Amino acid sequence: MRRFGRIGFTMILTLLVQFDWQWSQWWRPFAPDALWWHGALCSALVGIACGLLGCFVVLRRMALIGDALSHAVLPGVVIAFLITESTSIGGIFLGALISGLIAALLINLVSRYSRTKEDSAIGIVFTAMFALGIVLVSQLPRGTHFDLTHFLWGEPLAVTPTDLMAMAIVTTIVVLFVIVLFHPLRLVSFDPVVAAAMGLPVTLFHYLLMGLLSATVVTGIKTTGVILVVAMVITPASAAYQLTDRFWKMLVLSAVFGAFSALGGISLAFISNSPTGPAMVVVASLIFLLAMLLSPTHGVVFDLVRRYRLRRHIAAEDVLKAIYHHNQDATAQPRIEELAQRVRMTPKRTIAFLEWLRAHGLIERLDGWFRLTRAGERRAVEMVRSHRLWESYLSERAKLDVDEVHEHAERLEHAHELADELDASLGHPRHDPHGEEIPRPKEGEGAS
Amino acid sequence: MFIRATASTHVQQNLPANGAAVSVRNINVSYDGKPVLRSVSLEVMPGQSVGIIGPNGAGKSTLLKAMLGLTRMDCGEVRIFGETIDRARHRVAYVPQTELVDWDFPVTAFDVVLMGRCGRHGWLGRPNREDREAARAALEQVGMSRYADRHIRRLSGGQQQRVFLARALCQEADVLLLDEPFAGVDAATEQAIFGLIDNLARSGRTLMVVNHDLSVLNRFDAVLMLNQRVIAFGPTHEVVTDENLRLTYGGRLSMLERADAALRKDRIHDDPDVARSV
Repeated sequence: MRRFGRIGFTMILTLLVQFDWQWSQWWRPFAPDALWWHGALCSALVGIACGLLGCFVVLRRMALIGDALSHAVLPGVVIAFLITESTSIGGIFLGALISGLIAALLINLVSRYSRTKEDSAIGIVFTAMFALGIVLVSQLPRGTHFDLTHFLWGEPLAVTPTDLMAMAIVTTIVVLFVIVLFHPLRLVSFDPVVAAAMGLPVTLFHYLLMGLLSATVVTGIKTTGVILVVAMVITPASAAYQLTDRFWKMLVLSAVFGAFSALGGISLAFISNSPTGPAMVVVASLIFLLAMLLSPTHGVVFDLVRRYRLRRHIAAEDVLKAIYHHNQDATAQPRIEELAQRVRMTPKRTIAFLEWLRAHGLIERLDGWFRLTRAGERRAVEMVRSHRLWESYLSERAKLDVDEVHEHAERLEHAHELADELDASLGHPRHDPHGEEIPRPKEGEGAS
Repeated sequence: MFIRATASTHVQQNLPANGAAVSVRNINVSYDGKPVLRSVSLEVMPGQSVGIIGPNGAGKSTLLKAMLGLTRMDCGEVRIFGETIDRARHRVAYVPQTELVDWDFPVTAFDVVLMGRCGRHGWLGRPNREDREAARAALEQVGMSRYADRHIRRLSGGQQQRVFLARALCQEADVLLLDEPFAGVDAATEQAIFGLIDNLARSGRTLMVVNHDLSVLNRFDAVLMLNQRVIAFGPTHEVVTDENLRLTYGGRLSMLERADAALRKDRIHDDPDVARSV
């Protein structure tokens, strides 16, 4: 394991060294360079707008629609370009908006009036519109220059002050939209049926969201390009979703992550001399990865730690109980091997747990063997009591065979905080189904 | 009894409003040409609680949705206090089945209840202090105040159901339509919900409750037996008969359920008033 880790590390290092790093550019973000700042600011605005709208896309499970809209705007953009004969932002904007709304409408129509389900309908509509757009691009009159590569991959450094203005307006609208309509939007997203029953215009909200998403996406295309813009919509929002259980916090976090991905990406692109859009998506994905691993409530790492702690807790209690029984058994030899056999662990592991118990003051050494401390004994008796109560419960209430109850009780006994409740509900039995006495907590000690 | 069960063919059209809280006339609903509801008519007076029973696919949920205007009707009309649903929306609260709820949605119990106030502000309004008070009071009423700030995923099935009920409560509606509020709840919650239903009915609210469990029918004033059409509708002890149950559930009613129903019918006949006041 360790060797593979070292090899992997070396490989990544070699790879990173071979990148075309431009360390002389590291100061670039801090230099008064209007072009860079235009790009950065525009990207950050895109990140905020995408992040906010992304929350709705993620929660309403419309990620595919987000992707669809970004592709479906192409024919609108090309037609706008043909009509206005320029790449002015206003025309392209309107074209994209109309195109995006048509796509949303078509998806709805196809899934409603044919057997095709919604996911396939989305796939059919957006590829159709994207293909149409590409055909239109190839038919553009000679001499006109429409840079499809920019459209596909984005180029934030090509943004003009007009673009920046447009993006500022769109982002302001999105922010106002989310703040003003926070409550109805939350209801419509959470429970559209009840929202409709209350008389909220659910369909109107849907198309409003689609329209704003198309507008945001088409401006986002300038920075990340068609293919990757969907990442700016769903990745920061998904990262935020991992971290919080409150809707407004998710919106705020998502917007922050969006802006950070954009700024981090554009800086990374400068330093590593790589394309900007993909660099932004790499940063956003890293944020998501960290959120997924480290989220305190839903994170993989904390979940593993919790599970590990529970397993350790159970194993330690098993060892403690084993010593308790072992020491009561007059014929038992004070030997680790024998103890290990009782708890079905290797001697090495058993010793490790003995150390752990000693460190926690539950056992102490005595004449080369171990003895339970007062706290240790109390805990062990509690375990025995819990075990026997569970056995009684399983045979009496759950009607399990008496021979079966021991195995189940071995696991359940670790939930000894339930013992008192169990005891009361069983009517304080004196003996378990095997006839063993159920110990009672001693007066005065039970409270401590 | 204030309830009139009417066969659709005998309904006089343009019946003047006669104080009925809910009046449904000759509703027909079909999905893809397949009829789900046929000529359903009924009238419910204010302060009545009606249990709606019927087998799966009988159109129980569809009836509620049609009444709310959420499903296209082929024909028929619905009046709430003599008005169309669109004009009477603020007087109706709806609790849908909880199985379609996204339990991972980032909202707390309090957030969900507060959503009940969205309808009265239209879509530009924001909940004010009064709305928050109402939401808190509604949570209190269902015994969930302690869990106000808990995420909905971390509530038990019964608690989740109570939160959704609280949302309907804080709408302060006169008519409540509940779709299977007893699905997946514990005995304590079931009792709590019935207590609530009794209280609401006593304070003049009208309730229609879709329900799977035949054993609790005696808690309602009236029962609607539905299987695409109205099989029977009237005071509980009059309509819950073997014959009606057989007609409602067709051959699908198992011996066990029939036995249960027969036993319960006896209990209802024994003393209907005692049964209702439990």
